[in-house]
Amino acid sequence: MSAIRLEHLVKRFGSFTALKEMDLTIGDGEFLALLGPSGCGKSTTMNMIAGMEAPSEGRILFGDRDMVGVPMGRRGVGFVFQNYAIFTHMTVRRNLDYGLRMTGRPAVEVRQRAEAMAALLNLTPLLERPAAGLSVNILQRIAIGRSAVMEPAIFLLDEPLSNVDAAFRAVMRTELKALQRQFGQTMVYVTHDQLEAMTMADRIAVMDHGVLQQVGTPLEVYNAPANTFVARFIGSPGMNLLPGRLAETDRGLAVDLGELGISPPLPDALAAAAHGAGRPEVTYGFRPEEVHLVETGPALRLPLILAERIGARTILHLGRAEDAVRAVFQGNPVLPEGVLAIAPDPASLRLFDAVTGAAIRGG
Amino acid sequence: MSVTDTPPAPPPTAASVPADAVRLGHWLTLPAQILILFIAVFPILMQLYISLTDWSPLSGRPWPRAWELWNGFANYADLMSDRRLWSAVGRTALVMIVCVPVQFFLGLGLAMLFVDDFRGKRLFYSILIMPMMVVPAVAGYMFFMLFQSGGPINDIFGTLIGRPVVIAWLSDPTLALVAVMIADIWQWTPLMFLILLAGLVGVPDDQMKAATLLGANAWQRFRTIALPRMKTIIIIALAIRVIENFKIFDTLYIMTSGGPGVATETISVYIYKVTTQDLIWGYVAAIALVILIVLSVVAVLAMRRMAR
Amino acid sequence: MAEITFRNVTKRYGDTLAVDDTSFTVADNEFFCLFGPPLSGKTTILRLILGLEVPDEGDILIDGRSVTRIGPAARNIAMVFQNLALFPHMTAEQNIRFPLAERRMAEAQIRARLADAAGKLHIGHILHKFPAQLSGGERQRVAIARALVRDPVAYLMDDPISALDARLREEARVELKRMQREAGRTLIYVTHDQEEAMSVADRMAILEHGRIRQVGAPVALYDGPASAYVAGLLGSPAINLLPPGLLPGARGDAVQVGVRPEDVTVTPGEGAVVTGVEPLGGYTVLTIEAEGQTLRAMLRGQPAYAPGQNVAIGADPGRMHFFGPGGDRLAG
Repeated sequence: MSAIRLEHLVKRFGSFTALKEMDLTIGDGEFLALLGPSGCGKSTTMNMIAGMEAPSEGRILFGDRDMVGVPMGRRGVGFVFQNYAIFTHMTVRRNLDYGLRMTGRPAVEVRQRAEAMAALLNLTPLLERPAAGLSVNILQRIAIGRSAVMEPAIFLLDEPLSNVDAAFRAVMRTELKALQRQFGQTMVYVTHDQLEAMTMADRIAVMDHGVLQQVGTPLEVYNAPANTFVARFIGSPGMNLLPGRLAETDRGLAVDLGELGISPPLPDALAAAAHGAGRPEVTYGFRPEEVHLVETGPALRLPLILAERIGARTILHLGRAEDAVRAVFQGNPVLPEGVLAIAPDPASLRLFDAVTGAAIRGG
Repeated sequence: MSVTDTPPAPPPTAASVPADAVRLGHWLTLPAQILILFIAVFPILMQLYISLTDWSPLSGRPWPRAWELWNGFANYADLMSDRRLWSAVGRTALVMIVCVPVQFFLGLGLAMLFVDDFRGKRLFYSILIMPMMVVPAVAGYMFFMLFQSGGPINDIFGTLIGRPVVIAWLSDPTLALVAVMIADIWQWTPLMFLILLAGLVGVPDDQMKAATLLGANAWQRFRTIALPRMKTIIIIALAIRVIENFKIFDTLYIMTSGGPGVATETISVYIYKVTTQDLIWGYVAAIALVILIVLSVVAVLAMRRMAR
Repeated sequence: MAEITFRNVTKRYGDTLAVDDTSFTVADNEFFCLFGPPLSGKTTILRLILGLEVPDEGDILIDGRSVTRIGPAARNIAMVFQNLALFPHMTAEQNIRFPLAERRMAEAQIRARLADAAGKLHIGHILHKFPAQLSGGERQRVAIARALVRDPVAYLMDDPISALDARLREEARVELKRMQREAGRTLIYVTHDQEEAMSVADRMAILEHGRIRQVGAPVALYDGPASAYVAGLLGSPAINLLPPGLLPGARGDAVQVGVRPEDVTVTPGEGAVVTGVEPLGGYTVLTIEAEGQTLRAMLRGQPAYAPGQNVAIGADPGRMHFFGPGGDRLAG
C-alpha cells in the first residue's frame, strides 16, 4: 500500500511556522500536485514525506505504517531534486544503476534494469557518457530514471521543470504524466506553476503561508475555488476580484463596485447565498475567460490599458494597474478604442466574504 | 542553476583579441616577469654554477669567481656515494610514509566529525587548529620537554601503570624517531583537517541526500560521492604534506639536533650540518639542486593528476 | 533616439558561428524581442550591441553611425541584468543615483534626472526603501530607473524575469510593457519564453543557429510563419505539423500542413480517438490520435471528452499553414 496520509502535520523552524496543521490523504497511485507560491510550505511538506526533515508535530503514514522516525534511506521513496543532484563525476550508466549497486543487487540485474530504464527514457546512446556537461533536459531524465529504476512506490518531484526552458517544459509535462501512468506509483509533485498542476495532476493541493487552502481536481479548484487566494492563483490569468457591497436594484440583488458602478444582477442562487452570508461587503469574482463585450445595458466600463496578443488568446488589461481587470478573448480580435464595456457571464460569477476571503457558495 | 542560453562570455580567443592588445598586455606584465626571473631563476642558476665548483666561503674568493675552483661533476659523483646523505633521504622518506597517512586519516576523521553541527563546535575547532599556529621552534622545545626521561609523558605512563617509568625517548635511536614523528603529527594534522573539511563541506548536500534516498549507507556515500568529489583537494593536501615532510627540520632539530648520532638526521638537518659545520658549499649546492629536482617532479606529477 | 542596425554581422567563437551574416534594424522607441532556442545567438547579439564583442564581419550602426569599432562605454547603452544587480546596502534612491555620482554629475542635474525617472516609473514613494523591502516588480522598476538616469540611447535586457514564479512572471511582463511605453527608449529584450516574447514585443526576431529566420510583429509571425520552424516555436500547445492527407482541404503540393491547436475542430464522429484530456478551466487541451499521428486540439471551456472517445477532426483550410520541402511556407 502506498497511500500517503498526513495527520495534523506541523513544522516549525524556531519561531517560524512553515506548516500549520496539515491533514491530507494522497491515494495509492494518485498524482497529487502541491501548488503554491514560494514560501507556502509545499517543499517543507515534501521534505517531511521524504524524511529529510522531521515534523514538529503530527504523523506521516505510508499505508498503515507510521513513517516518523524512519530514516530517509529506508522509506523507499524516489525523489527528483529541483537541481536534479546528478552525480556529475559518474557516467550516465553509473547514475542510473547507482541505487541498484548500493543495495547490492546482482550484477546481471543491475545491468538489465539500468539498460531497460535507459531505453525507456531514450538515454541508451548516452549510457557511457560522463553525466557532467549534458544538457538540462537530459539531466532531468537521468534524475527521474535514477529514482524510477528502484521502482519506488512513492515518487516525489520538487519543481523538476523550473529549470528547463519553456518549450521543453510543455513536452516534459506530457512525458511525466505518461511515465506516471506507466509506473503507476503515487506521485507528489511540488510546483508553483498552476499550469503544470492543472495539466498533470489528478488532484491539486493549493497551499499558502503554510496553510492548505483547498484540495480538489483541477476543475474543482478552477470552478469552485474555496477562497480568494485559490481563485487568484488558479487560472492564467487568475480570477478577477473586485471589492464591493451587496446592493438591491430594481432587477434584483447586485454588487455595488464603487467607481465601476453597479454590477449586473446576480443569479438567483448566488443572490440567495449572499443574503444568507449576512455581510454586505463582498468580493466580486469572475474568470477573465468568461466575459463578453456588450453594447448596452449593465456592464463594467473600463479603459483598455494594454492588450497582450499571445497568439491563441488575447489578454486585455483594463483599468488601473493596481486593480486591473483582465479579460481573455480567443484569437486576435479587433478591439474598440478607449473604454470597453464588459459583462461577466452570470454562470461564472463567484462571491467571496470580503473579510475572510472564503467563498460564498450558491445552490 | 538557471538554464537559459546565457553562456558566460567565451574566453577571449586569439581571434577575438586584437594583436595590438596582446602586445600591450606583454608590455604591462614585463615588470612582473623580470621580478619572477630574479626571484626564481637567478638563485637556481647561481646554485647550479656553485655546485660545479669546490667553492666555500673560506676559499677566499667572492662567489662569482668560484669558477677558479671548477671541479665539474665531482660534487654530483660524491653525492651518489655519500652513505650519510642517502640514509638521511631514507629516514626522511620513512618519516613521510608514516606521518602523512596518519595525518591524512586523522584529519579526515576529524573533518567528518565537523561536517555536522554539534554543541561547542567552534571551541573544539579553535583548539584543534591551534597546534598549527604554534611557532615550530616553540613546538620543538615543548616536545623536547615532554619527552625528557623525567618529563610529563613518562610521568603519565608511570601514573597509568602504577610505578615509575624511565624511557629515554630522545636518546634511544628508534624512540627518538618516534618522538619526532609524534611531534610532526601533532603539529600538522590540523592542516590536513582544515583542508579536508573544506573539501567535505564542498560536497553538494543534495547529492548526498540523493544517494541516501537511493539506499546508499554512510560508508557508500562517502566512498562513491564525497571521496571522488574531494579528489583534487585530497591530492593538494597530500602534496603539501609530502613536500613539507621532505623538508622537515625546525621542530625536529630543536628536539634532537638530528641525534642521537644520526638517528633522526633528515635531509634538511644533514644539509644544515654540512653547510654550517663542514662549510663545503659547492657540495651543498649540488645536494640542494638534486632535492629541488626531485620535489619538482613530485609536484608536477601531482598537478598533472589534478588537472585530469 | 536610437535606431540600431545590424548589417551582415558575423561573429565566430573558434569554429562555432554564433551569429551568421545577420541583418536587422530595431526602430527608435521599439520594444524588440530576440527569441530562439538555447544557443541560437540571442545573447551574442546583445553582447555585440553592448560592444562587449567585436564582430568578425559586418557593421553595427546606431542612428546610422557605425559603432563597430567603438567601445562599450562610448555607446551609451544600458543593460539590465537578469538578477537586476541592485546594491542591497543602498536605498532605491542611492541605487539610482549611483551611476550619476560615479560620473561626478552636478547635484542639481542628478536631482532632475532622478525626479524624471522616478516620475516615469512611478517609484517616487519607494525611493527611501532598501531593495529587500521592495516587491519583485518594484525592484525591477528601480533597476530600470538606474539604467534610465544615465540617459542611454537604448537599453537591453537579458531574460530579466525568468527567475520569478510563474504567476509573478505573468504580472512582471505586463509591468515591463507598461514601463517601456511610459519611459520610452529602444528596448532590446531576450527571452526563451514564447508567450512572454509575444506579450511584450512590438516586433520580434526569431533566431536559429545564429541566423534570423523571421522578423515581424508577434501576431504577424503567429498567423503567417515563414517556415515550419517559426510556426513550431510560437504557440502553446505547439502547432500541429501534419502530413497533408490527414485533414481535408489541404493543398496537394504541401509537404507539411500546420494547424494551430485552437483551429482544430472536434465533433462527435469517427476517424480519430481522444487519448488525453487536460482541462485547464478556461479551455481544454485534447490529445488526439488519427491515422498514426498525434495532434492536439485546444477547445474553449470545459467540454466533456474522455480518453478513448471516438471523434471526428477537421480544420478550416483558411487557417491552415502549408509548408513545402525544407519547411518553407508555400507562396499564395
